[in-house]
Amino acid sequence: MASVGFGLITAAVLAISAVGFTLQFAVTNVLNLAFASIMTLAAFVAYWINQAGMSIWIALIASMAVGALVSVALNYAVYSPFQRRGSAPITLVIVSLGMALIIEFGVAAIDGGISVSYNMGQSRTLRFAGLILTTVQLIIIAISVVVMVGVYGLLRYTKLGKAMRATAANRMLARNCGIRAGQVISATWALTGALCGLAGTVFAIDVGSFDPTSTDIFLVLILAAVFLGGPGHAYGAMLGALIIGLATEVSAAYIAADYKYVVAFVILLAMLAVRPTGLLGAKT
Amino acid sequence: MLYLIILLVYTAVDAMACLGLSQQFGVAGVTNFGFIIFQAAGAYMAAVLALPSDSANGGFQLYIGGFHLPFPLPWIGAAAAGGVLALPFTFLVGRRLRGDFAAVGLLVTAVLLNLLVTNYRPLFNGDAGVSLVPAPLHSGMFVGTSNGYQYGFAIGGLVLAVAVYWFLRRITESPYGRSLRAMRDNDKVADSLGKNLVALRTGVLVTGGAIAGLSGAILVDFIGVWSPAAWSYAETIVLFTAVIIGGAGNHVGALLGALLVPVGFEEITRYISNNNPNLPPNLLPSLQWVAIGLLIAVFLWVRPQGVLPERKRVIEPPAQEARTQRTRRWRSSPTPEVLKAIGVSKDFGGVQAVAGVSLSVTKGTLTGLIGPNGAGKSTLLSLLAGTEKVSSGRISYMGQDITVLPAYRRARVGLVRTFQLASEFKRLTVVENLLSAVPGNRGDSFLGALAGRWYWRRDEAGAAERAYALIESFGLGDKANDYAGDLSGGQRRLVEIMRALMTEPDVLLLDEPMAGVHPDLARRIGEALRELCRQGMTILMVEHELAIVDELCDPVIVMADGQVLAQGTMAELRDRSEVVEAYLVG
Repeated sequence: MASVGFGLITAAVLAISAVGFTLQFAVTNVLNLAFASIMTLAAFVAYWINQAGMSIWIALIASMAVGALVSVALNYAVYSPFQRRGSAPITLVIVSLGMALIIEFGVAAIDGGISVSYNMGQSRTLRFAGLILTTVQLIIIAISVVVMVGVYGLLRYTKLGKAMRATAANRMLARNCGIRAGQVISATWALTGALCGLAGTVFAIDVGSFDPTSTDIFLVLILAAVFLGGPGHAYGAMLGALIIGLATEVSAAYIAADYKYVVAFVILLAMLAVRPTGLLGAKT
Repeated sequence: MLYLIILLVYTAVDAMACLGLSQQFGVAGVTNFGFIIFQAAGAYMAAVLALPSDSANGGFQLYIGGFHLPFPLPWIGAAAAGGVLALPFTFLVGRRLRGDFAAVGLLVTAVLLNLLVTNYRPLFNGDAGVSLVPAPLHSGMFVGTSNGYQYGFAIGGLVLAVAVYWFLRRITESPYGRSLRAMRDNDKVADSLGKNLVALRTGVLVTGGAIAGLSGAILVDFIGVWSPAAWSYAETIVLFTAVIIGGAGNHVGALLGALLVPVGFEEITRYISNNNPNLPPNLLPSLQWVAIGLLIAVFLWVRPQGVLPERKRVIEPPAQEARTQRTRRWRSSPTPEVLKAIGVSKDFGGVQAVAGVSLSVTKGTLTGLIGPNGAGKSTLLSLLAGTEKVSSGRISYMGQDITVLPAYRRARVGLVRTFQLASEFKRLTVVENLLSAVPGNRGDSFLGALAGRWYWRRDEAGAAERAYALIESFGLGDKANDYAGDLSGGQRRLVEIMRALMTEPDVLLLDEPMAGVHPDLARRIGEALRELCRQGMTILMVEHELAIVDELCDPVIVMADGQVLAQGTMAELRDRSEVVEAYLVG
């Protein structure tokens, strides 16, 4: 049962990042492989703020701002110029890998490549319904639930959310219907960037000790969750995150913990091979 | 050990790797983000084939194998391992998956395999890796050998790199290589012209994997150890940087890239950083990776074609007097209704684009297919050509059921289509576009390409003759050796039609062939199409311009809301109220 608890926490962290990644891809059409590197950068900014003596929860807010700023800047300075020039999608993927290297190893150059962890008070342990969770872990799950409800509300009820959905479905048509696609795309980068920053710090809190390469493997989990639900589908990513989070942690109870990512990997490859549109995507 | 030896060996290894990657990425358009795992497979295979059983040396390391085989068996095994490892990935890069999604799949595979090998010690000694790998034709490790041996090894590696260059050049400059480049420029169209995408991609994945495996064998015999740290996923990005900077698709460019990036940039700075105690640890290696990232972005922006761009292949027109008249053969159909659809439907996530269409096209006619926007005309064409699968219903061609036949197989039996949107192979010249469609060229297979120019020269000359005759008959002679992507919209449509004709189709499906074409040229195309039908071709043509349909087509089929509304001559159709209404309302 303990593994189910771990699974829920992994799923909670994963859901925030997967929803951010998939919305980013849906609206901006960039398969941004630098996503996990921006998570790392945000987590380290939170660490530096935390080291300066501030509470990790304040640092968490700051890391969201960092994620949003970096993502908007990346789009403005790099991705958007390439897209305007009509570069092929694969060119953008390669460029995003280059950006991932710059950010990840830029952090490593400053940090020196060592593992760090946040200063936070002792956490109490709570037991209920067979699960054993700390208060911090409960807070992480609560944050994730709030984000999921927030994303649902945004997409369902707000003007921006509807404009995002329209732009994702057909950018040209959305533009012709009077939606300012450029602004919607910038807003999407800011919003998904904030989710990315949040996910980075929450991830770092969850794993305890982290270094600049810690998110490399986590990117695999994000991609698995995104492709399981169907790339571009926010609710699919939520479902995917839940399944992948539980599957990796529960499987860790039966096979060695070092191999728990294999499950995510097999799911990802199977989805790519059999149904690249995902569980919730349309049939081709 | 001499520093020169180190540089020479790394030059050989990186040159081979960059050539293999350039072939996959630059020539065939397969973005293999997992390239490094094939080098790793070769290195591990060479190591465990050459090493004695793992109980030797007190059993301090664990690995499978340990066959203690003599050179060159470990190197041959390494190339085979790289090639075989490529096979399971062909399902990823097959016919359906987007190239960038497949690339992500390969990247993830590289990350995960590295993690697995790191954690599972019995396979290749886990994180520490295998060590004490003996040098070829020698009982100990490379570091203990004489200077003369080391020079010999380095030269041997360079000779292999030259052999790889020669091998890949032979493939790329053949009709088979042209098919690879056509697939790179537009895989869907290559499919519709009879190219077997799965086979082509399997070919480049396996050859690239074998080359990478061989390079891994040289490397592991040289350094004597092989561990997961040597093949992190990021090493693939270094190779990509080299190929992008050198010039993707240009093999000399790949060699240049290998010299500039992995050899010049990485190895030389690694040497500096390891020997400077004043710098903090990890700073220089980290900054190296930052620089690699910057190089990728800057080069793709400033000079995406690389330092040495892909060469243009100019094909000279054949001499006038050498030209021969040849008559083409037509496939005989047991029934005059060469193409038949029976109750064909297509659903797109709940929307029925084509709803139970039955029609037949009679041999030798130029049948028109008209209807308002969204009537399902283009979708129907895609179903008939096999570009899309039917949701229900049957399609028969020359009396045979072809409902489940993939597009490239339909093209090979003479059922060929063109596309509504621009679909020329942009970085092939006009002549190359036409030649790429010719079926049955002896050089258009892996083995045929390897056999060399003498084996396919005659087929190529004959095809070039036909291509030039066609190009000149449509007045595009002065553009024959221009890149198709540089032509005007109308000229590109013409290239597409000519390309489809080069396949010698029996039934041709045209999707708005005249759209955007100058009226004079449109008339000429129309006359040519009519003449082809007189000779025995059957054409089904989607067209919006009713004046053209009126002049050329008989009979005409009208579609609306995914269904066939009426069929007859244009004059008959004009008198039918439901047809007029569909057009006015739709």
